[in-house]
Amino acid sequence: MIQSQSNELSLSGADASLIPKPTYVQADDTDTMTTESSEAGGIIRSKDFCLFYGRTAGVKNITMDIYARMVTAIIGPSGCGKSTFLRSINRMNDLIPNIRTEGSLTVNGQDVYDRRVNLVNLRQQVGMVFQKPNPFAKSIYDNIAYGPRLQGIHNRSELNSIVEECLNDAFLWDEVKDDLQKSALALSGGQQQRLCIARALATRPRALLMDEPCSALDPIATARIEELIAKLKDRYTIVIVTHNMQQAARVSERTAFFCLGELIEYDQTSRFFTNPSNKQTEDYITGRFG
Amino acid sequence: MGFRIFSRDFADRCFTAFSIMSVVLMVCVLVMVLGPMMLHGLKAVFFFGTNEFREMQLAVFGHGDSERIRRENGEIEEARLFVYEAVGRFRRGIDTDHLSDDVRDIYRDYGSYLRDNGVSGERYSTLRARAKVLRDTLQDAFESRDKGTVQRNLQSVLELRDDPDFRGTVIEAYFEKAESYTHVVESVDLSKREQYAKAFDEVQEALSKLFGPRPGELLPALTIDQYGATRWDVVQRELQKLLWIEEWVETEPGQPMVKHRTARKEFFANTDLEPIFDYTEKNLYRLFRPRLTFYWRYFLDESTDGHYFGGCGPEILGTLALTFFSMLFSIPLGIISAAFLVECTSDNIVVRVIRTCINTLAGVPSIVFGLFGMAFFVLFLFPMLGEFGHETLGIFSAETAKNLTKPNILAASFTLGLLVLPVIIRASEEAIRAVPRTYKEAALALGAGQFRTFMTVILPAAAPGIFTGIILSLSRAAGETAPILFTGAIAFGPVPDSILEPTRALSYGSYDIAVGDRLAMLVPHKQYGMVMTLVALVLTLNIIAIWIRSRSSRKLRGI
Amino acid sequence: MQSSRPAEAARFDRPLLLSPGKDLRGYIFNKLGRAFLFLVTFVSVVAVLLIFYFIIREAAGFLAGPYVKQFFTSASWYPESHEHPEFGVLAIVAGTVYVTVLALLIAVPLGLLAAVWLSDIATFKVRQFIKPVIEILAAIPSVAFGFFAVLVMAPWMQTHLGYDTGTNVLNAGIILAVMALPTIISVAEDSLSAVGMEIREAAYGLGSTRAEAMIRVVIPAGHSGIIAAIILGMMRAVGETMVVWMASGNASQIPSPWWDLSQSVRTMTATIAGDMGETVQGSVHYQSLFSIGILLLVFTFGLNLMSEHFLARVRKGKGA
Repeated sequence: MIQSQSNELSLSGADASLIPKPTYVQADDTDTMTTESSEAGGIIRSKDFCLFYGRTAGVKNITMDIYARMVTAIIGPSGCGKSTFLRSINRMNDLIPNIRTEGSLTVNGQDVYDRRVNLVNLRQQVGMVFQKPNPFAKSIYDNIAYGPRLQGIHNRSELNSIVEECLNDAFLWDEVKDDLQKSALALSGGQQQRLCIARALATRPRALLMDEPCSALDPIATARIEELIAKLKDRYTIVIVTHNMQQAARVSERTAFFCLGELIEYDQTSRFFTNPSNKQTEDYITGRFG
Repeated sequence: MGFRIFSRDFADRCFTAFSIMSVVLMVCVLVMVLGPMMLHGLKAVFFFGTNEFREMQLAVFGHGDSERIRRENGEIEEARLFVYEAVGRFRRGIDTDHLSDDVRDIYRDYGSYLRDNGVSGERYSTLRARAKVLRDTLQDAFESRDKGTVQRNLQSVLELRDDPDFRGTVIEAYFEKAESYTHVVESVDLSKREQYAKAFDEVQEALSKLFGPRPGELLPALTIDQYGATRWDVVQRELQKLLWIEEWVETEPGQPMVKHRTARKEFFANTDLEPIFDYTEKNLYRLFRPRLTFYWRYFLDESTDGHYFGGCGPEILGTLALTFFSMLFSIPLGIISAAFLVECTSDNIVVRVIRTCINTLAGVPSIVFGLFGMAFFVLFLFPMLGEFGHETLGIFSAETAKNLTKPNILAASFTLGLLVLPVIIRASEEAIRAVPRTYKEAALALGAGQFRTFMTVILPAAAPGIFTGIILSLSRAAGETAPILFTGAIAFGPVPDSILEPTRALSYGSYDIAVGDRLAMLVPHKQYGMVMTLVALVLTLNIIAIWIRSRSSRKLRGI
Repeated sequence: MQSSRPAEAARFDRPLLLSPGKDLRGYIFNKLGRAFLFLVTFVSVVAVLLIFYFIIREAAGFLAGPYVKQFFTSASWYPESHEHPEFGVLAIVAGTVYVTVLALLIAVPLGLLAAVWLSDIATFKVRQFIKPVIEILAAIPSVAFGFFAVLVMAPWMQTHLGYDTGTNVLNAGIILAVMALPTIISVAEDSLSAVGMEIREAAYGLGSTRAEAMIRVVIPAGHSGIIAAIILGMMRAVGETMVVWMASGNASQIPSPWWDLSQSVRTMTATIAGDMGETVQGSVHYQSLFSIGILLLVFTFGLNLMSEHFLARVRKGKGA
């Protein structure tokens, strides 16, 4: 099995090595990809989407398309609803009592707030990485194998190969391969976050939502995560919420700016940072507020 | 100004000192309560056991090396022979009632002997009359306190020794008795006989407490009386009773009585009994063969009446059974309730009512649980079920139905289960709430359903906390007495065969052995042993719980 | 499965909608599961209702009978007398009050001081040692305390204090105080810790000594929790059975003179425990014991509501 995909693995490995350190994405590259994806339409589309906590609105009238196999960054000041929007995509907001939505939010053409949505399939295919690393108090192996086991994979060798592959994808394999049975809580913060990414990858998601994945990490760990995002982006649709504008500029192809629950500007990253069309955005990225 | 600062500082120091003192006091109280309990209690398990103990264990419970015990017993009996012989000799001088009885019996035997041998008519009357004279003379001799009279009477009896009429008959025993009494009279001060008789009874009692029944004596009915001192400390205690006469004497009118001790040796000076006191004291080791005993079977053995001998096996078994069945009922209920309260509800009126009820349940006094258990389970629910099962469904036998109308283990377990239910609910709820929300989010984001998330992520993470709560409620259930008083606990009784019978329990046993049981007052080590077992059981469970908690809190920190 | 990965990566191959059957099944299971959990949880409510119902049911005959007035007004309790049985509960209630008040008089100051020590004075290490001690004190079964009272305390009182009887108010009160201590300490300490560092810093910042900060600022700020602690300790003392049964002497009398703590009394719990074995089911005596049970139940229920009220205030204060 590993044989059969060595090709692809080496390919992705080559991709990763092509980008030795996170850099600004080259403009022409993005352009071509954007046009391609734009033609296909967004894989995640939100139209006039609003979400209310009781009476207060978390996000208001968001209309944006998120394209497949591309990194989309969402930036904005604290409390602007960027996390709320992200968590709406795989309905993690359901945990909060008394929420209500308006408008539509579709994933692959399916409105996720339809009552009949298969939440299990939705969340398996739209994975999520959280702000603070949150590995289970289980072994590293069991953390990764949790998702596959939920899908009914109990075959030991199959699980082994999934674990190895996902840890490899998350650049973690070499660091932990000798003690897979160690408690995941014993890892360092950066390792834990990469483990959480690997865990999310193990359910074979199509899209990956990252909610400020680096906010609890030091710069070195952050660099590794960014490296990882760069490696994953041509296989997954990635949406990343971040505080850090440099990070958004480094890793994403498209960037959205949220403020007070509203989408202010959404554009290709290169254009967004060099030539913002909105005054507010300009103020924000130049550090005049936020 | 300086004084003001000084006084404030002083007040502060006093405050600190008082608060430290209160904590120190608390620790002292704990040591004071637990210390004696554990120390005395351990005496039930570790002690110097005498051969009497080993014999008792062999005979009553069937444990021990019978060969060795018999051998040692032989040696001990040999050593005791000296005492028994001295006592026998002395008794013959003192215990004239006994002798008179013997004489009367022999006279009766002689009558039947004559009839059996076909003697009748004139000759029968003559022989009987002669024997009667002998009998009366002897009895006079035994009852007289005048040495001269006694000797004269005995002489006149002995003169007939060679009479052919009596040779070869039971009457010959008269002569033996007369002869031995002649010796006795020479050594015993007859005028002190009354006094001796009373003191001698005490000696005999002390001896039987020490040595058990004399060899050849009919075995007493009570197990307690069948064995002497089984423990070295009891030996010492009983030895004092043998060696000393204790009296409470009023020295002056109106003053408290004073304890007065005199040595028995002096009291019995110049009698046959005198040497036994020194002999016993000097040869105590040979007479008892004490050995350091670790009586671990204390925790398994059944006990004899009043816990005089044996252990607290049935009590432990009963407590374990009660605890086990109460947990069987309350653990699932408690965890499910906690899961519901944390996972499925928000703060609405129904939940508030449920919470108030749980708190109320936690505050109900344990004796009221006992009342409720009796009124509901024992008198209402179980009899109803029993009748229904017996008469309508036919699944219960008449005996089961009858057992269901009486206090039994099941009723007591249910009552205890209700008592600990709020404890388990609260502990589990707290443990489940303490699981970081991120765990739940992570699991849900990986596509686990609510049920799966709970079972595979939240429950394992909360498990140490829940487990701690369970162990604490286990120890609570094991220690409670009031709820089982009327629902299934008894002080005496057989080991139950089924859960529909009442059982003994450590907690109720501790109560009963402390206040209810007269016999147990004689064996304080057994009293303390029972309560030590209970406390040790409960504290062990608690220490395990504390340990698990500290370990799991370390584990959550990733160490 | 694995090999189909990269090229088709972004395509959602698993249906995002539930099939109608699965949807219905999920709905039913969800509802059934919740109903099941709710029913199980409701057992607690049912239990409380059953307790009230059955205690009242068994006592009903007495409460409707001719002895009710006497029950609440007389102090003589001679239930087994053949000619003139008397069912006056006052002396017994007085007994409960005596031992409870004495226990609280001892336990509250000690418990508060210990709580202050734990929350503000003790170093972390010492606290780690003392906390298990408190837990162990709380864990000792009540019958073991009763045993101690009868076999250690009572003889000691007789020989060293010269009391006629070793089982008396003082004995029971002291032991109950020890039993109520852990409850009082842990609840009071929680509430003192909940007061928060800011208030303490403010007090120290104004030049208070520790005693002044504690007595004038921290303890008043935590008063709800401390009242709750006292109420909970009181509940423990009122509801305790074995200790008072064994240590209070079981004489249904009001001590006279009233301050004489060396006299025996009899409490409500001990009366139930001691008399129940001798009654015939359904007799007036039996029913009167259940009536005492109602008194206890109502009393603890009231105390419980009060403590909940105060604890809720602590929790609210913490949130703010």
